[in-house]
Amino acid sequence: MDFLANLQIGFGVALTVQNLLYCFAGVLLGTVVGVLPGIGPVTTVAMLLPISFTLDPISEMIMLAGIYYGAQYGGSTTAILVNIPGEASSVVTTIDGHQMARQGRAGPALGIAAIGSFFAGSVATLTICIAAPPLAAIALNFGPAEYFSLMVCGLIAAVVLARGSVLKAIGIVVLGLLLGIAGTDVNSGVRRFTFGLTGLADGIEFVALSMAIYGIAECAINLEKKDEQAEVTRAIGRVWPTWADIRHCTPAILRGTVLGSLLGVLPGGGALLAAFGAYTLEKKVARPPRTFGNGDIRGVAAPESANNAGAQTSFIPMLTLGIPSNPTMAMMIGALMIHGISPGPRVMTERPELFWGLIASMWIGNLMLVILNLPLVGMWVKLLRIPYRLLFPAIVGFCCIGAYATNSNATDLFVMAFFSVFGYLCLKLECEPAPLILGFVLGPLMEENLRRSLLMSRGDPMVLIQEPISLTFLIAAVLLLLVVAAPAIQKKRDEALQE
Amino acid sequence: MNTAKLIRRLAPALLCSLFVAAPITLPAAAQSYPAKPIKLVLPYAPGGATDVIGRTLAQYLGETIGQPVVAENRTGSGGIPGTDYVVRSAPDGYTLVMMDPALIINPTLLPSVPFDVFKDLQVVSRVNSSPLVLVVTPGMPAKTYAEFLTYAKANPGKLNFSSAGIGTTPHLAGEMFKQQTGVDAVHVPYRGIGQSYTDMMAGKISFAFSSAAGALPFTKDERVRPLAVTSLKRAAIYPNTPTMDEAGLKGFDVDLWYVLLAPAAVPAPIVAKINEAMVKALALPEVKTAFAKIGAEPVSSTPAEGAAFIKSEYEKWKKVLTDGNIKEQ
Repeated sequence: MDFLANLQIGFGVALTVQNLLYCFAGVLLGTVVGVLPGIGPVTTVAMLLPISFTLDPISEMIMLAGIYYGAQYGGSTTAILVNIPGEASSVVTTIDGHQMARQGRAGPALGIAAIGSFFAGSVATLTICIAAPPLAAIALNFGPAEYFSLMVCGLIAAVVLARGSVLKAIGIVVLGLLLGIAGTDVNSGVRRFTFGLTGLADGIEFVALSMAIYGIAECAINLEKKDEQAEVTRAIGRVWPTWADIRHCTPAILRGTVLGSLLGVLPGGGALLAAFGAYTLEKKVARPPRTFGNGDIRGVAAPESANNAGAQTSFIPMLTLGIPSNPTMAMMIGALMIHGISPGPRVMTERPELFWGLIASMWIGNLMLVILNLPLVGMWVKLLRIPYRLLFPAIVGFCCIGAYATNSNATDLFVMAFFSVFGYLCLKLECEPAPLILGFVLGPLMEENLRRSLLMSRGDPMVLIQEPISLTFLIAAVLLLLVVAAPAIQKKRDEALQE
Repeated sequence: MNTAKLIRRLAPALLCSLFVAAPITLPAAAQSYPAKPIKLVLPYAPGGATDVIGRTLAQYLGETIGQPVVAENRTGSGGIPGTDYVVRSAPDGYTLVMMDPALIINPTLLPSVPFDVFKDLQVVSRVNSSPLVLVVTPGMPAKTYAEFLTYAKANPGKLNFSSAGIGTTPHLAGEMFKQQTGVDAVHVPYRGIGQSYTDMMAGKISFAFSSAAGALPFTKDERVRPLAVTSLKRAAIYPNTPTMDEAGLKGFDVDLWYVLLAPAAVPAPIVAKINEAMVKALALPEVKTAFAKIGAEPVSSTPAEGAAFIKSEYEKWKKVLTDGNIKEQ
């Protein structure tokens, strides 16, 4: 059978001593940069590209891939323990994960994150094996109209996701959109919202913005909560979740895995969108739903499974189409090209050892990560014992290094400083920043695709509902809006009742 | 009194010796060059064609010049921050930059550029030549350039062409094509030419002047159709594809080149040394092989030839930009 023969080739390649070592190096490094806010897989892969040019392409891909999915494991650790996402994709994990840590259940939260990630990773690996060609065919059918509608859907999901006032969430999403379109407009070349600063010509740097809000502003807020912090420090809890926890989480892990695998395949998707999507879905689907935002273990299990699944399935468009779905994948394509390999469908047939070796290494890497993360969780737990006044300078330091290292551009540091103050005010005003980030990421893509589809239709907006896939997304968006509207009314009623 | 007289008599000799010494000390400084590693600034994000060319060049230039050449990515719009960094660096020959046609397009395209390409920088050598490839969507009936031209003229305003953004070489090649043939097509910019291939395969984009590196994976298995290359002679990676010039559009010549530049104040003997090492490095078969993988051919030049080359490129694109009224604000 083809499938087994392919896996045999894959494991034959991945299990050589050399490749096992590179796989281990990748996942270890991935965990470390995942834990550290301010340094992400994109920065790490970029920094490692020059070194990895000297490696065999297979070993190189195995290591770089390990960094990317390894970071998804590491990112959750910081999210749960310090309420700062180590990775952007663990943003939603902070919501329930850190609440669990405050309730003294940091251990089970970390445990379920690792178990969920491993399960999702294994499933995603199998998914790539079986479904790479047909799934790639689906993504290939997406034109600008479809992308636009998909993103509309994503943004509305961001509003659903936000805690508290829907009005505030909409305001924050719109602000995110506006911040996202700062810089040189792709369609006309006009520079928008740059205040004449050349440093802003490329727009606001995502790393600087997210570090400002999730690194520095969160730290500042946390510094104010001295007493609560002390409570967390004393209560840690055991790492392994109880069987009841696992049974409770199983549907969440399954849903997160499936949704994450699907969202990972979409260009522009990947781990981040997967985590957001899974959390939103879980909030809507799981019963009883009331405990989300207050330390519900399913709120950790679902997005953590989803981001790992998404991180891995985002290799599908890269490997089968040669089209990157996110910046890390773009780097991987660059790395392959340096070795004279053009990413595309031919990789699978011409370099089966590369394709299947990489996939087999992902499963091995996930196994390593569980071993690396669960016993070592104790070490990360010790981070909690470090008071914020000591951790704070370290985090600020890492954030500054991360923001600067991305482009070696000092403007990014000023951007970060500005948005740190902005983020602090936002949090003070009880505005959830997650929709801001999603709006920021999706805004420019959405605008670009809308204008591109209108350029192609010569200005006819009907194109958005004439394409069936696009229409489906728009209908889903409308349904989501209705869902938002209903609980908003309910929430108001609840508030009124409480008062 | 004697001393004063002596000084007066010696003064001309002293002055003379100063002038004589000057030309001797200068080559001495150049002779010790390079005494430390050289930094090669690549003004674009890691991972693209610039990286392939730049890092290959860094490696082999390091070998021929006898000191490591360290490639460093300094990204930013239009390659301006990276180039500006080199303009402002010490003119000692230890900081160089490799730039693409944006170097001479920016002054016309943008309202302001923080430096003057022709006054603040000097060309050390050309690096490569890589043609663009005219590719069309597989659903298009045209199989040759001539058929494509007829088809395009028969469907005015209906075709879309993609580019890597406003003012990029693929965009300007498309504009030049429109200006020279009178074809009416709509420009649809993307953030990179690679992104537009999905839409081209789906038929939403009719044609593009793509970088050879971007086109290669898609033309190999015929997911898009190459009709012509934009160089005046056929490209090694597309031996069976005619040039635009051969196919009927006389003199159509678009090159996605790179040049190696140094700050204008770097002394000529040092520039000559780097040039000599460049000529040697670009003649290496390893460099030819590495460049060929992304559809580029090594091309070296003297600094004077390089300067004349970018000047002529500047004039060529200035005309296209002005005629097409293409501007960034």
